Amino acid sequence: MKYVILIHANPDPWGHPTSHYTPEGRALPAEHHQEMDRRFEALLSEISDSGELVSAEALADPSSATLYRWSPQGHLATEGPYAEAKEHLAGFFLIDCASRERAEEIAAQFAQPGGAIELRPAMWPGGDDR
Amino acid sequence: MTDLERVWRECAPDVLAALVRGHGDFDAAEDAVQEALLAAARQWPADGVPDNPKGWLITVASRRLTDRWRSERARAGRELLVARRTPPGELLVPAPDAAPRGGHDDSLTLLLLCCHPALPAPSQVALTLRAVAGLSTARIARAFLVPEATMAQRISRAKARLRESGARFGVPATEQLPGRIGAVAHVLYLVFTEGHTSTAGAGLCDTSLAVEAIRLTRRLHACLPAEGEVAGLLALMLLTDARRAARTGPEGTLVPLAEQDRALWDRQAIAEGIGLVERALPAGPVGPFQLQAAIAAVHAEAASAPDTDWPQIKVLYGMLHDLAPSPVVTLNHAVAVAMVDGPAAGLAMLDPLVPEGPLRRHHRLHAVRGHLLVMAGRDREARAAYALAARLATSIPEQRYLNAKAAPPPADPG
Repeated sequence: MKYVILIHANPDPWGHPTSHYTPEGRALPAEHHQEMDRRFEALLSEISDSGELVSAEALADPSSATLYRWSPQGHLATEGPYAEAKEHLAGFFLIDCASRERAEEIAAQFAQPGGAIELRPAMWPGGDDR
Repeated sequence: MTDLERVWRECAPDVLAALVRGHGDFDAAEDAVQEALLAAARQWPADGVPDNPKGWLITVASRRLTDRWRSERARAGRELLVARRTPPGELLVPAPDAAPRGGHDDSLTLLLLCCHPALPAPSQVALTLRAVAGLSTARIARAFLVPEATMAQRISRAKARLRESGARFGVPATEQLPGRIGAVAHVLYLVFTEGHTSTAGAGLCDTSLAVEAIRLTRRLHACLPAEGEVAGLLALMLLTDARRAARTGPEGTLVPLAEQDRALWDRQAIAEGIGLVERALPAGPVGPFQLQAAIAAVHAEAASAPDTDWPQIKVLYGMLHDLAPSPVVTLNHAVAVAMVDGPAAGLAMLDPLVPEGPLRRHHRLHAVRGHLLVMAGRDREARAAYALAARLATSIPEQRYLNAKAAPPPADPG
């Protein structure tokens, strides 16, 4: 079963890992960050060794985005962030694991100072007939 | 599938098993077998397929393995490692094509190794498809819709874990055997459901995973004809797969069991499945796969959905609930109860699961409730249950089906 782990955060300035650049993250001592980074690296090697990590990307500053909106006259492009969002999508991880419980266990470890972690199941094209 | 591929898939488990039995190192044996296949791909088209392709592959792979061992042994310190890996009694290597010890089929031993309890389920599945079914990593990756690199990682990590855990190629102790065979059956069942519930065929594999699972389970059943649960699993797969042509409508829509055109069901597979259940059940002990197969057999025997022998299905689900309780069994049991004793009785079983419990966020609970609410004539509540089920569904065809059920009826022109 595939899930995406979405990192919503508003680091200022924009930077990765986002936890270093959020107000909550900046309030923490350096040793705390080192410990969190070490744990996160361990988690990443664990899920990449097990074959559960499918892919992951860190995203650029939302101001580098281009938005396209459809109109009957054609599309309309505007520069800049998706304005309605308070926290922006900062990155995502696509995982493939045996159960929802396992996905939750992985996603919970992404929790970080500032921002929110969202776990969403991916839709799939099959189904059962009963 | 090319001739070469067919020969290869038929021989793969035996060739690999012979190598592992002779030399002990699963990982190195697997590499050597892959090299032998490459050699075959180069030589056979020019020279023709040898009379004994299995023997040819075993010989070539053994030679590769021995070559590699020699070069490894030349490096300092390697002798110790090899000696440690080889139990003293087995330093005298039996000829790779000698009869296996203990009277068990090699492919069974290989299955037992691939489904070793040290491995997590997804790795057991991947390794079984690679080593026993002889599917390429690329093809397994396509079937599970993950990049080839991810699947390759999963397989190589699984092999490393087998090595670290000291898992040995051999038949487990008698007292462990039933549990280990149970693990193999579970893995084959996972492969089957992956194939059965995917939209199968086009774009995935040229042989679907369901067909592959049936082939492997047939083989397992041939090794262990007296194991009732293996017979039950094979029967369950055959009876479920018999509905394949009827379960998808035009444009890939999902057709539920009750609405399927039963003329499209595969009668031959049904007859074989029913025969297996009828022989296994009286022999005992009864297990969950046999009960699920018996339920599928009752559905298969009904000429039409209204002819279904629901009282018998209700009894069978009751037995399954006692033997292997699970939330999904409770749901199906509730449907059978509703069909026999009326929708209120079925709903009474489901209502406690709505506010709490593991199924609260599972679409099946709400889809089944919607169905029973329709039976009870509570259409408005049924639509609400279907709407909730649709929001929770993660399968695109199921979600489409549930959204249609949740839609309000067309306005009455009167």
